[in-house]
Amino acid sequence: MMKGFRKYLMIGLAATALSTAGLPAWADQVLNIAHPVLEQSWSPLQGGGHVARWQSLWWAAPMYFDKDGKLTPYVLASATHDEGFKTWTLTIDPKAVFSDGSKITAQDIVGTWNLCARPATKHARVNLFLGDVEGFNDVVVGKAKDMAGLVVKDDQTVTVTLATADPIFDQKIATALIPPVKISQAVDESGAQKADWWRPENGVVVSGPFMPESMDLDQGIVTLVPNPHFFGPKPKLEKVVITTVSDPITATLMLQRGDMDAATELITPTVIQDLGADFLGGPALAKGQQFWFDASKPPMDDINVRKALTMSVNPQELALAAFPDGPFTVADQILNKVPGVDPDYPKYTYDPEAAKAALAASKYKGSDRLPKIMFVGISTPTHEAAAQYIAEQWRKVLGIQGTEMKPAIETYAGPDQKSVQVFRDDVGTRVPDAVSYLMGSIHSGSGNALNKMGGYKNPEVDKLLDEASVKGVDDPDRIGNAQKAQRLFREDWMYIPYYYDVMSKWAMPWVQSFDKNDDWQVIEPWNVSIDEEKRP
Amino acid sequence: MGRYIINRLVRWIPSVFILLLLVYALVFFGAGDPIKLIFLQAPGDVAYDPARVDAIREAAGLNRPFLLQFWDYILNVAQGNFGNSLVSGRSVNAMISAAVPVTLKIGLTAIVLVSLLGILLGVIAALNQNKWLDNLIVGFALVIWGIPVFVAGPLITVFLVLVLDFDVPYGWGGLFSPKVIVPLLVIGLNPMALIIRQARAGVLEVLSEDYVRTARAKGIPNYQVVMRHIMRPVLTPVVSQIGLLVIATLNNSILIEKVFGLPGLGRMTETAIKSSDYPVILAIVLIFSVVVMASNLLVDISYPLLDPRAAAKKTEDE
Repeated sequence: MMKGFRKYLMIGLAATALSTAGLPAWADQVLNIAHPVLEQSWSPLQGGGHVARWQSLWWAAPMYFDKDGKLTPYVLASATHDEGFKTWTLTIDPKAVFSDGSKITAQDIVGTWNLCARPATKHARVNLFLGDVEGFNDVVVGKAKDMAGLVVKDDQTVTVTLATADPIFDQKIATALIPPVKISQAVDESGAQKADWWRPENGVVVSGPFMPESMDLDQGIVTLVPNPHFFGPKPKLEKVVITTVSDPITATLMLQRGDMDAATELITPTVIQDLGADFLGGPALAKGQQFWFDASKPPMDDINVRKALTMSVNPQELALAAFPDGPFTVADQILNKVPGVDPDYPKYTYDPEAAKAALAASKYKGSDRLPKIMFVGISTPTHEAAAQYIAEQWRKVLGIQGTEMKPAIETYAGPDQKSVQVFRDDVGTRVPDAVSYLMGSIHSGSGNALNKMGGYKNPEVDKLLDEASVKGVDDPDRIGNAQKAQRLFREDWMYIPYYYDVMSKWAMPWVQSFDKNDDWQVIEPWNVSIDEEKRP
Repeated sequence: MGRYIINRLVRWIPSVFILLLLVYALVFFGAGDPIKLIFLQAPGDVAYDPARVDAIREAAGLNRPFLLQFWDYILNVAQGNFGNSLVSGRSVNAMISAAVPVTLKIGLTAIVLVSLLGILLGVIAALNQNKWLDNLIVGFALVIWGIPVFVAGPLITVFLVLVLDFDVPYGWGGLFSPKVIVPLLVIGLNPMALIIRQARAGVLEVLSEDYVRTARAKGIPNYQVVMRHIMRPVLTPVVSQIGLLVIATLNNSILIEKVFGLPGLGRMTETAIKSSDYPVILAIVLIFSVVVMASNLLVDISYPLLDPRAAAKKTEDE
């Protein structure tokens, strides 16, 4: 009798085990993310690319902005400054530890930031965060290895000396893109980043709520599990699996079926119809898309042509052409979402007659003398729809026939690469500050002015922004100068406003607390969970 | 035969050298600087500073003259070292060694299946010339020849998932995983049309030969006539298509591996081209060229086995 019972018990247990083993991964609190690019490097020191968008899952930022935009301590317990905003003292939270339980030290912060600045690391955005630190300019071009302005005061304290005063330095370093790493793991004797130090098989220790369990770079699958030594709240998810799904149709199908829960980025013309408005929606972002004119190339070297091209486009219709179902909103001024958005900004208006008059007043006199106008940045079907709309308006209103559009500048044949006049791209800021926003978009030193607007330089604009950048965040002139600079820039007719971005959730409705900040990071990854009842 | 193979290999080396030089020059001068692309392709507020880009290029050894860089590259390749990816810093040898088996397994399986099925359908069509079965098979071949794989792949996936409620065929679980069936089908579909048409034309040509008529007149059963007397001469032109089949399969793998998430050379090619990562691009070009050369060599070697006249001519050539 007993023997028979045992036999049936064993069979029952085996059957249960087999049936559980057969369950898909999503049976538990597992977040499956579809990632669009086959990544060969998951180094946290790249400062950009799709990899960087998941950095907050496994790396703790120095500080971060919470859901309400409040600067919140994280690895750093505090960041204080002297009266002139030139010397900052950063104090590390004594509880801040890596996943092996060792403390995050001042040496780690200084070492990481120096490593980020060195040319061989190829960090794409380091100068946005550390560009004002004394000695930065020498390190980024390889003349020095370390920034003189970064000094370890003691194990828990870093002193930062800036070359120019910066009242918002603490906000600038509130980003997961320069996370302190265990520097002894990441750097070799020559000061270069060690190859593959960030792989779990090399024993990487991390500081975020999750840590890598496995990284199959060939298949494109990265698995993260909770970090047992995380110094913040315990994560709700049991696992995060990031899988490369390069094809947007396949990714859409997998999201629809619940095989995937979120995507790093997914833009298709039918994304709202396929996955719902909530998938693409999110809070407004301090970022806007524009079509920038390169004023160094004909015919954009004539302000009247730029005027004509801008006034022949209806901004409402332009945004609708790209996103007929939202959620993006029509753009006008450069500034968006940050304190200092100009409520009385004189928008560019659609005025076909004025556009024709402006073209007639230009040195080209009419459309037949204009060279072919070439666009770049037309990298998605939505941007293509918008660019097609612009070309059609130019044809209808101004009689311009010769336009061409491509995704990237290198897709043009050699000689044409030097003649491209219109760049579709976004500008924005990671900190809630109008000056920082404009410094990165219309100041002559910005990458946008140098590369997209052909070395645009308006000395008045530069002067106003330079003056504003050293004023305290509470000084009304900081915002006042920024607004004046923006209006001056408007008179140069350098762009066609397109739309303001939102921070798309890119997650299905069953993914909870998946809020992201302006840095594309999940703000509080430990709060993310899956509502299993809503999952298909 | 041995001398013939060595001759072919010796002739192949300079052509590969020229091919590599051309591709190196194309990516070096034309496709764009991979370091610049790291900054230019990222959206928004990327810190693009020409002085910094120069410093990064210097650190990566990319500021040296073209020929010097190419010569270093060739010396490394000769020692079996493809270098490191310019974008990720990962060893290209490691990347390639993981990807090659996947593409080879998928490609070879597709070629075998396509050849068997294509020959079978071609023979059936020819034996039923101008009947409904022939029209059906020829029509089918025309349709699959006309649909590019990058259209067929997503369409078949959408049909299977949304209409038939199948799981999304995605990822790699080995050659015997059910996930591989759909990609195999898609990769092979387009080149199969080639085999069907070639086999059909070959059979039709042979059917009117005297020795086939004689064999039938002697009362030999039809299947024996087909297997013994028709198939062998038909195989020669079909085998000559294998080289084209290999090229088509490699091309298709570039377009299809992305759709089905197969971690092979095709998916790697797409990523490398987008980022102008030329150590990876060149390694892939070299491997593709080895595969094409080897398949052409195999085709040449197999000719004499199928057709004694070819063996006689080859001996004269040698």
